[in-house]
Amino acid sequence: MKDLLEIKNLCVEVDGKELLHDINLAIPEGEIHTLLGPNGSGKTTLIMTVMGFTRYQVTRGRIFYDGQDITDLDLTARARLGIGVMQQRPPTIAGVKLHQVLAYLAAGDLQRNQKVQELLNQSQMSLLIDRDLNAGLSGGEIKRSELLQLLAHEPKFAMMDEPDSGVDLESLALIGKMINKLFAIESACTVKRKAGLIITHTGYILDNIDADKAHIMLAGRISCSGNPHLVLEIIKKHGYEGCVHCMP
Amino acid sequence: MPQLFTIDQLREEDAVELANVGVLTDRNRRSGTFLLRDVLPLCCYSSADGMELLSIDAALQRYDWLREKYFWKAVRPDLDEVTLQCHSESIPRGFFIRVRKNVKIAVPTQAGLFVAHSNVTQNVHNIVILEDDSELKLISGCLTLRGVSTGSHFAVSEMYLGRNAKLTNTMLHRWGPKVRVRPRSGTIVGAGGQYMSNYVSLQPAKSIESNALTWLNGSGASAKYLTIILGSDGATIDTGGEVYLNADDTSAELVHRGVCTGGHIFQKGLLVGNARCRAHVDCAGMVLDTKNSGFIESIPGLRGMHPEARMSHEASIGKIAPEQVEYLQARGMEEREAISMIIRGFLDTNIAGLGPELDARIAEIAELAGHGETR
Repeated sequence: MKDLLEIKNLCVEVDGKELLHDINLAIPEGEIHTLLGPNGSGKTTLIMTVMGFTRYQVTRGRIFYDGQDITDLDLTARARLGIGVMQQRPPTIAGVKLHQVLAYLAAGDLQRNQKVQELLNQSQMSLLIDRDLNAGLSGGEIKRSELLQLLAHEPKFAMMDEPDSGVDLESLALIGKMINKLFAIESACTVKRKAGLIITHTGYILDNIDADKAHIMLAGRISCSGNPHLVLEIIKKHGYEGCVHCMP
Repeated sequence: MPQLFTIDQLREEDAVELANVGVLTDRNRRSGTFLLRDVLPLCCYSSADGMELLSIDAALQRYDWLREKYFWKAVRPDLDEVTLQCHSESIPRGFFIRVRKNVKIAVPTQAGLFVAHSNVTQNVHNIVILEDDSELKLISGCLTLRGVSTGSHFAVSEMYLGRNAKLTNTMLHRWGPKVRVRPRSGTIVGAGGQYMSNYVSLQPAKSIESNALTWLNGSGASAKYLTIILGSDGATIDTGGEVYLNADDTSAELVHRGVCTGGHIFQKGLLVGNARCRAHVDCAGMVLDTKNSGFIESIPGLRGMHPEARMSHEASIGKIAPEQVEYLQARGMEEREAISMIIRGFLDTNIAGLGPELDARIAEIAELAGHGETR
């Protein structure tokens, strides 16, 4: 499989402070990778940078998506190329409703519109689509709202920031279902599913999705990569401190 | 006397411009029409049973009681230079509407007041009377035609709502860049009456100063004012108003929404609680561009004159947060599309009863502001 996302020697600054140092990462087509690491290690910075949020300034290195150098492309262009993001703490936008964003994403596409309607019911979000975007939602509702938008966006490469944090077990199962639907095998190719990068702090989401690889991020660097369940076992056993000792 | 003819005989280019302020040639979508071109009434008719629509001069000739009970009774002739000027007209220009008792007009009635030539001064005097238990939706579209940049529009409106009467008064304005606009109004609402005013200024004049006075005199009467202003470089827009809550269980709400892309916007409003009542003022401004010292100034006012007057206000001014724009861009929107959607949301004040005309104008403001094209 060719790499869908390839990051080479990436350094990123936020407000003049370098937070990511020389990151190298490749995610092939059809693979789901997870990113683990303690708070403040740079996980969110990495996915916000790949998405193109302007606060995250690339000072060195390049980002390639589907063979194209996207380092200098803006957010809109990246989203339209097929990159999508689920934020952990999305901003509240007064007056803008979830249904308006969903309508924008499904505009002029009858099939997608129908899918959005079905998803709304399945995600138990029908009653919340007329509320201001992200206003007054519980942790689980924010995850579902974000996932719903991602599902309507239909990205080829989806990034998620802690979909399993702050949600109860019942919500977690529903979120797992939604994520699996997002990465579902594409109808045109029976062996290929969509690709993605999922940040998880707890690893709970690994019980609900089948990830291919895990990366550990420590102090702005990817320090280790491997089988997701093995990596999680090691972290559970030795903590991230154990990973620090293992670092080259 | 009106010269004409019906609105469908308007020149096509004029009809297109009037449609932009909610004045339509489709007779099925309007229950009556009054058109004033410069200082001459063009047409004036009602197609609804139980509603009279006449030019004000014709109505004054027909009904002696109009002059005795209503003409200059809700607005003082000596209030200011605007009222003095309108009062000095030997033949007043404007419309008279009366909706009979128990008659509910479902289809909106419209008035189109337009300036077709440069340097014309329109002095307008309108009277609307809703008898007990009647209802009316009035759409007034005021504008200067394409190519007209100078002129004045002075208007006095007197509105009288009887017991349980309901008036929705929607005004859409689109003016040339050097026009002076001075609306003055007085509205008296009886017991259980509901007055709703929606004012949208799409393309602001050089200066607009409005001063709407409302007296809620009957128990349970209510008034809601929604004012939506798109300010632009070189324009000064001062929208104010006072509501006097004079009877028990009255309520009033003033909602201002201003989007500044230059120029000066003043959002004012004074609520006076003289009885057991509820009242709220909500002023919110969004500053997109402050070229040439543009600003928004919000001055919500409350005066409690009764121990059971429950009154509150809120005011906020801010810019669009970049993270909000980028959040929507991450869904594939262009930056201007994202800004338009946010402005549209900011202007959506959830006041029930806004018709499609107003919705379309709000969407247009959001689109214009999103593009940075307001002139």
